[in-house]
Amino acid sequence: MTDVLHVLRYRDLVRALVSRDLKVRYRRSTLGFVWTMLQPLLMMLVLRMVFSKLFQSGSAEVTRSYPVYALAGILFWNFFSQSIVASMNSLRGNAQLLQKLPVPKAVFPLATVLSGVINLLFALIPLFLILLVSRHPITPALFFLPVSITLAAIFTLGAGLLLSPLAVFFTDTVELIGVLLTLLFYLTPVIYPKDIVPAHLRWIVRFNPIRSILEVFRDPIFYGKVPPLSHLAVCISIAAIAFAFGAWVFRRSSDRIPFYV
Amino acid sequence: MPSVLPASAEPAPRIRLDGVSLCYRLAKQRIPSLKEYAIHWVRGSLAYEKLWALREVSLAVRQGETIGIVGRNGAGKSTLLKVISRVLKPTAGRAEVNGRLAPILELGTGFDYELTGLENVYLNALLLGRSRREIDEKIEQIVEFSGLGDFIRTPIRNYSSGMQARLGFSIATAWIPEILILDEVLAVGDSSFTDKCEARIQEFHDAGTTVLMVSHNPQSVRENCARCLWLDAGRLRADGPTEEVLARYAHAGTDPDQRPAGQLHLEK
Repeated sequence: MTDVLHVLRYRDLVRALVSRDLKVRYRRSTLGFVWTMLQPLLMMLVLRMVFSKLFQSGSAEVTRSYPVYALAGILFWNFFSQSIVASMNSLRGNAQLLQKLPVPKAVFPLATVLSGVINLLFALIPLFLILLVSRHPITPALFFLPVSITLAAIFTLGAGLLLSPLAVFFTDTVELIGVLLTLLFYLTPVIYPKDIVPAHLRWIVRFNPIRSILEVFRDPIFYGKVPPLSHLAVCISIAAIAFAFGAWVFRRSSDRIPFYV
Repeated sequence: MPSVLPASAEPAPRIRLDGVSLCYRLAKQRIPSLKEYAIHWVRGSLAYEKLWALREVSLAVRQGETIGIVGRNGAGKSTLLKVISRVLKPTAGRAEVNGRLAPILELGTGFDYELTGLENVYLNALLLGRSRREIDEKIEQIVEFSGLGDFIRTPIRNYSSGMQARLGFSIATAWIPEILILDEVLAVGDSSFTDKCEARIQEFHDAGTTVLMVSHNPQSVRENCARCLWLDAGRLRADGPTEEVLARYAHAGTDPDQRPAGQLHLEK
């Protein structure tokens, strides 16, 4: 509890770290800001070309407006995977500082995930354009998105808190997690409709917690519906457990971090 | 200079260390990766050497004391300051620190070389736990004390190390702390700035701040500190009036039986 208060006292620092992160990201390249929005769009186009033929066995609804389906999935996935990798690098990147100043260490993964959220918000702009252009139905369910994003952020922060100390203790964790994230990407219906998964493998999709969080984000956009309460309750539990476990591990290892960075 | 501290000294000490030991665990072979860790673990060849940087250090510091810390390189001085600054947690023993800290273990820790001096003032002070509002109130005074003039608006990658140190010191000391911790940071910078720094430290002392300073300059310890600690190989060899401790330290330095400076004491 005192830790939480400690981080709260440093909220101005978190804000400054987020804005520095965004500044660096957008100052470096000329396209900068545009790139955040362009990258998922281009990826979606590639996917459309490559996969639109492949997934025709999927439900008619997904096939018809595959771009929206895939783009929403990619935006979520980019947020999740990039935030985790960046969280893992955030402690290592501030090694010097952690050995000289009594800063609450959690501010670094926290700021990383928050700047990921802001990037996700920017990337929603082209998604809405696609919605308009493709005449995809736009419904009031979109107002549910802030809740979805909050859940996704809490879940991702939990994962970041869990993994960032590990990356300090062992340098190759980042590579290892990179491989695992690729595996997870294919185990999660990000770019493919979940009903094309063969029946005997459905349990993988079914018990994949990331799929649950993803659906809470994508359903309001794609199906125009607010997730049912039962599904929402499951997702809230997943996010809460991920966060509590991550925070617990982070707290336990936090004293050892300055010895290893 | 108004004092932020209560006029009467409270009975509880500002700093109390109780049998504090701190051990750096050094892997015999450096094992930086999970893969290597797994290999060594399977082979049963995970071995560590322990470097005890502090061994059972106990001391109490009252409010308003100014204490010098002397010792050779590798004696544990910086580690002691890190424990008191709450950067490192002791392996054994208890460290109790009451009061707002200004830990200056290094000037300008966390400076971002791409940002301007002014932007760095904010970033650095935020890292020290200040709020944006608090910094807004002090910003002019910080810039003025640093004496950097128009340089404050240029990226600090253009600064000399002395200029960085001036800015770092101005930020770290913009607020009167209850405990000021200095790790040999005044060695850089020209003499006029060093004088300015010492005047400020004196101001803090007058306001009731507790000061701990590591110094390799006996003259500076003599001038500033009534009490002095001598650390040797992680142990507190002496703790008392500055002249006495310095005399013992100087004597030990010329004693041929003493180990050479900086020797590591490794044990399995």
